[in-house]
Amino acid sequence: MPVLLRIALRNIREHTSKSLIIGSLVVLGVIIIVLGNSLLDTAALGVHRMFIDNYTGDVFVSGISTTPGSQVSLFGLTGGNQSETTPLLPEFDAIQSHLAADPRVTAVTSQVTGAGMITREGHDERAVSLLFGVDPTTYPGLFHDTFLVSGSYLVPGQEGILVSRGWLTTADKSLKTDLKVGDKVLINGFGRAGFKIREAPIVGVVDFNAETEGMDLIAWANADTVRILSGVDVSDENVVLSKSQTALLNATSDNDIFGAAETTVSAAASRAPVAEAAPATAVAASVAPKTGGSWHFLLARLKDSRQTDAVIRDTNAWFSLQGIGARAGGWKVAAGPFAQSIDVIRIVFYVAILIVAIVAIIIMMNTLVISVMERTGEIGTMRALGAQKPYVWLMFLTETLAVTIVFGIIGIVIASGIVGIVNLMHLTAGNFFTQIIYGGKVLSLSVTPLSFLKTLLMVAGVGLVAHLYPVMVALKVPPVRAMQAE
Amino acid sequence: MPRTLIVPAISVPLRIEHSEEQERGVTIIELTNVKKTYLLGRIEVEAVRGVSFAIEKGDFVSIAGPSGSGKSTILNLIGCIDTPTAGAVHIDGRPTAGLTDRQLTLLRHEFIGFIFQSFNLIPVLDVYENIEFPLLMGSGGPPKRERREWIESLIAEVGLEQWRRHKPNELSGGQRQRVAIARALVTKPRIVLADEPTANLDSTTGEQIITLMKKINRELATTFIFSTHDAKIVEVADHVIRLRDGMVVENTRSNAPVAVGAAD
Repeated sequence: MPVLLRIALRNIREHTSKSLIIGSLVVLGVIIIVLGNSLLDTAALGVHRMFIDNYTGDVFVSGISTTPGSQVSLFGLTGGNQSETTPLLPEFDAIQSHLAADPRVTAVTSQVTGAGMITREGHDERAVSLLFGVDPTTYPGLFHDTFLVSGSYLVPGQEGILVSRGWLTTADKSLKTDLKVGDKVLINGFGRAGFKIREAPIVGVVDFNAETEGMDLIAWANADTVRILSGVDVSDENVVLSKSQTALLNATSDNDIFGAAETTVSAAASRAPVAEAAPATAVAASVAPKTGGSWHFLLARLKDSRQTDAVIRDTNAWFSLQGIGARAGGWKVAAGPFAQSIDVIRIVFYVAILIVAIVAIIIMMNTLVISVMERTGEIGTMRALGAQKPYVWLMFLTETLAVTIVFGIIGIVIASGIVGIVNLMHLTAGNFFTQIIYGGKVLSLSVTPLSFLKTLLMVAGVGLVAHLYPVMVALKVPPVRAMQAE
Repeated sequence: MPRTLIVPAISVPLRIEHSEEQERGVTIIELTNVKKTYLLGRIEVEAVRGVSFAIEKGDFVSIAGPSGSGKSTILNLIGCIDTPTAGAVHIDGRPTAGLTDRQLTLLRHEFIGFIFQSFNLIPVLDVYENIEFPLLMGSGGPPKRERREWIESLIAEVGLEQWRRHKPNELSGGQRQRVAIARALVTKPRIVLADEPTANLDSTTGEQIITLMKKINRELATTFIFSTHDAKIVEVADHVIRLRDGMVVENTRSNAPVAVGAAD
């Protein structure tokens, strides 16, 4: 065994109490880093999986908001001008075809988003709901992480809403009722077209393999219902209005509107079937048969999620080339405010872990400083005997690395044990905050050999930095002065 | 009644290439008007005040004087573990002034062996390893087998065959100093500096240590320079340099006095 390693290992054994103090700190640091990293990785992966598998897909394509500071997400428009609505996706067919033709893409679907107040006939209570108007043909192709609890999925041409078990529980609480499949609910929409009310039956109840407790405001509906409630044009094509329709739009007084015999537009009756709704719908049906109406977003799943960045980059480049006012983004863009709140929570958590780790590092550094300074005399002797500075440096480095690696491995073993115990405990998240930290409803930590290696390197790095300063100071002392400390 | 130290001949021949008798009489160390001033807070303390003397190869030199006379400072200056404030130190004809830290370290390793008052052994290494340690500092060195034989012969020379795997804390003061002597000799240095080597030993052990040093000096012609304030030990030296208040007050060699302040 090389003499440096021999000296290092014997010094560790010789100064047992000091080695144990440093070792304990290393063990503590490693446990904190391993568990912290594991928790953060689990949270990141869990939330990432939850959104991609259930709501956003890998790639999210939307129109671009014209208002500075506002952001388009799957949940609509946030920030910026209150009067602006979620922009429609221009050149929908072209974008859809482009994405579908990309060999990296496995499935594409479209969505229109709105919001409404849910109530029941004869009830005053209301519940807020986000409405995802979807294409029942393509939507399940992206999100197959759900399973049907009761009823059925939406089918093309069917009017109704599909809700999650969480949505049902929340709605039951708010509406003070017991909703079930087949029950009809009234949805009050408040969109650009003003106040709208629709009646729609609950066609099915779903649940998720990956827990999505924070998302229980979402209900899925047929696209036209959401379009009408949100006042979304049912087509992105230009509609040619007749003279009388233009006159109606330009009307300035009640008389102009209600006194004119030519006014033939019948008000969209409440509870009328979607197909008989506003005339624009009928127009759209004739001019945009391919799309079946306007859409806010296109969502795509990829064969390999690792290609997400590349697909987004290529798609955005294509938009620029074609002069299309659309933007592709990842799940975080789609998740919008949710992703931001998740980021904030994660940052707070990260800072907390960092503070604990820094405290451990400072204590470790102080102990190492004392340990090295106590051996100034030994350094002086070695220097007098002909040891060059790098040799002495190497000796202390070997010693520090030996301590950190030996105790680092002990820390990893203990941390792995704790991870195992935590996983056996099946800790469940009680609220949205803990769900984000847990990365799902149940905390399931995972550690990888790579994270172990990274932790060991990190701790060894800390040891290296911690021993540099005291050894540097000790080596600056002339041998004669250093030996006087013996 | 003062005791007389009897120095026996070395039983084991040690192979030190530079130990040829014809090298005797050549100056190996020369100090010229050397001064050393320390700062104690704001006060300047003159530990050495213009000292000049020369030491010949193979001499057994005693630097004597009371505490605070500058003995240790002079040894440190000769040993290149400290630098003079003024004046010049020449080792084997080479000036030490202007040498880099690396060059000084190399000079120490190649030319000088150290024996310290507090032994200064490395606590985690055993007798054999402590003696071997300086050999591991330099580049190259003898092959492993030759190195082992050499260390074993040194262990035998200092009479520690039974203790070779013992750690310093398992040895007596005298035994520790023997280890230090063997360690000082392991690189086959031309000069061995011993700073009050008997100060932490009882008188009998101290005498044994001095006897051992003298024996090695006689056999190998290694220049030994030791500081002491013990009059009995001074008697053994071929060359005595007496200091008082940082100045040389007596410089006697082979019973022939050398002019005080003379560099040769």
